[in-house]
Amino acid sequence: MEVLQVIDDLVCTRRVVGLGAVSLRVLQSEQGVVSVASDPVGAPVGKWVLVATGTAARLAMPDPLTLTDLAICGIVDQWEPAA
Amino acid sequence: MKIMRVEKTLVSTNRIEAFGHRPLLVVQERTGGIRSVAVDAVGCIPGDWVICVGSSAAREAAGSRDFPSDLTIVGIIDRWNPEGGV
Repeated sequence: MEVLQVIDDLVCTRRVVGLGAVSLRVLQSEQGVVSVASDPVGAPVGKWVLVATGTAARLAMPDPLTLTDLAICGIVDQWEPAA
Repeated sequence: MKIMRVEKTLVSTNRIEAFGHRPLLVVQERTGGIRSVAVDAVGCIPGDWVICVGSSAAREAAGSRDFPSDLTIVGIIDRWNPEGGV
């Protein structure tokens, strides 16, 4: 699992059926790599979150049939990015 | 999932049977970046910014649990500014 920062919401009207109506968040790593995660917790912009990758991400969703490969598993209370 | 831009369609006539007639698209993370090929599960056009999924979700989104895809387009982003991100 990794710790990434939420930088924005993502609006995606046209999507595959398997993605349902899950919220999507744009995340950024400490190295600046941008990715998109499904969000079952409702993480606000600016927070650092814990994410699961691969098939584990699907198991982290309320419905494990959700088509995702990156899911937010929790909001980190306090996180200091490495200098 | 990754944010990618659709560059063009990819024509591959002689393909393995498991691929069926699924459309293949050339996608790029940024202009001039590394190009990859993704299976299109939504129906997008060149120029669209899309989200691509990997892992087992890519196989299932492409049609079935044993579809041989490791990158599948699962959504078209309504609006995206590649410079500022948002």
